[in-house]
Amino acid sequence: MKTNILLAIESSCDDTSAAIIIDGVVKSNITATQDVHKAYGGVIPEAASRNHEINIIPVVSKAIKEAGISKNDIQAIGVTRGPGLLGSLIVGLSFAKGFALANNIPLIEVHHMKAHILAHFAEKPYPPFPFLCLTVSGGHTQIVKIDDYHDMEILGQTIDDAAGEAFDKSGKMMGLDYPAGPIIDKLAQKGKPIYQFGIPKIANLDFSFSGLKTSIRYFLRDHLKEDPKFIEKEKENICCSIQTSIVNILMAKIKKAADETGISHIAIAGGVSANSFLRSELKRYGTEYGWNTYIPKFEYCTDNAAMIGISAYYKLLAKDFSNQEITPAARLEF
Amino acid sequence: MKEFIVAENEDLQSVSQQILEAKKHTLFLLRGDLGAGKTTLSKSLIACLGSTDNVTSPTFSIINEYTGSEHKMYHIDLYRLNTIEEALDIGIEDYLHSGNNCFIEWPDLIKPILPNEHHNLEIHILDDNKRKIIFE
Repeated sequence: MKTNILLAIESSCDDTSAAIIIDGVVKSNITATQDVHKAYGGVIPEAASRNHEINIIPVVSKAIKEAGISKNDIQAIGVTRGPGLLGSLIVGLSFAKGFALANNIPLIEVHHMKAHILAHFAEKPYPPFPFLCLTVSGGHTQIVKIDDYHDMEILGQTIDDAAGEAFDKSGKMMGLDYPAGPIIDKLAQKGKPIYQFGIPKIANLDFSFSGLKTSIRYFLRDHLKEDPKFIEKEKENICCSIQTSIVNILMAKIKKAADETGISHIAIAGGVSANSFLRSELKRYGTEYGWNTYIPKFEYCTDNAAMIGISAYYKLLAKDFSNQEITPAARLEF
Repeated sequence: MKEFIVAENEDLQSVSQQILEAKKHTLFLLRGDLGAGKTTLSKSLIACLGSTDNVTSPTFSIINEYTGSEHKMYHIDLYRLNTIEEALDIGIEDYLHSGNNCFIEWPDLIKPILPNEHHNLEIHILDDNKRKIIFE
């Protein structure tokens, strides 16, 4: 059988990333900002540098080198076409088009949100079709039914804020550093969920986190009036309560989706799937309701090129190629 | 200058209509604390301009693009950015001068490059479910 060697590029938002995929297996997965951050003691500067133009060549070179191949071995290039920030997408897509033209190889466009789901095919065990995936990140919250690599349907999504944003903005109101998700996760482990916040009343499979944010705001305001040191004293319990509320909202909808579709293979994806309580709740629900649950490795949860490469690999097998006329799309039909 | 009091979501739709009827410029700067309702107001304005899209928070994506009944429009949030250079890097000027409506949350980061021709929308929390919107 012929070997398929793919280069993949992702530049939809903050990070510039490149990966090499050989026959559907990730051989390298390099992300610029993460490597840059290591030099700063692991502190992740928010809205990391937008210097995709500066990062792209070194990142691609490193991915090729780490995979132990040469540039001429690459047989196709996969790239994020959208959704994302136009100014960021254009760098990756222009590079990919140029690379495809120069090397006379196929260009394969990839949908960023579908790629988050297909990250589950980077490592075994693969979820069997059909399965449900809850994709949760700073910018997205959606439940998707996946019938095949190329056939997916959004069952529900946020109508305002994303779950990751709910974590970050709640943390901001408490005076925690941004992004606050990982800090809340850590503090919550020492607290108890003793406080209640408003629960969104949305009947279908859509999500809303904007009301929760406002409810937390009033809660903090009212308690600070009585005791200016309230946050300081109760930090761990507040964090635990916020985290429990957000995760409960997510789990209630995934349970509803599982019940409605009768599907019992449940996956999570996106940066928020690193949250320890979401992970443990998913496992607990799995045991209670007889689900098989799937959580990708953390490096495949955040924005990365490996997931773009895996998606491109399945499009390559289906000979689903793009032409040179494609333009980046800030919004892209699912 | 106009002041509106909004107590229900239904009020918001009529306020949005009044704002758009009085509109002279394409730039709308939205100010208010976290949770005041900047995205909720933007959502209502974007819907009033004929978009049927699901309008979600642009905090993470920074710029969301929507298509109204006539033109494109941009929902922008500078919350996550630290410096004006970052805003320039993402091509903020192209959006500001596109001639399309721009609804910008946390706009003060780019104050030095904002055109004088703009509307201000300030949202104040009066009560748990009551807001005052000041429009200039």
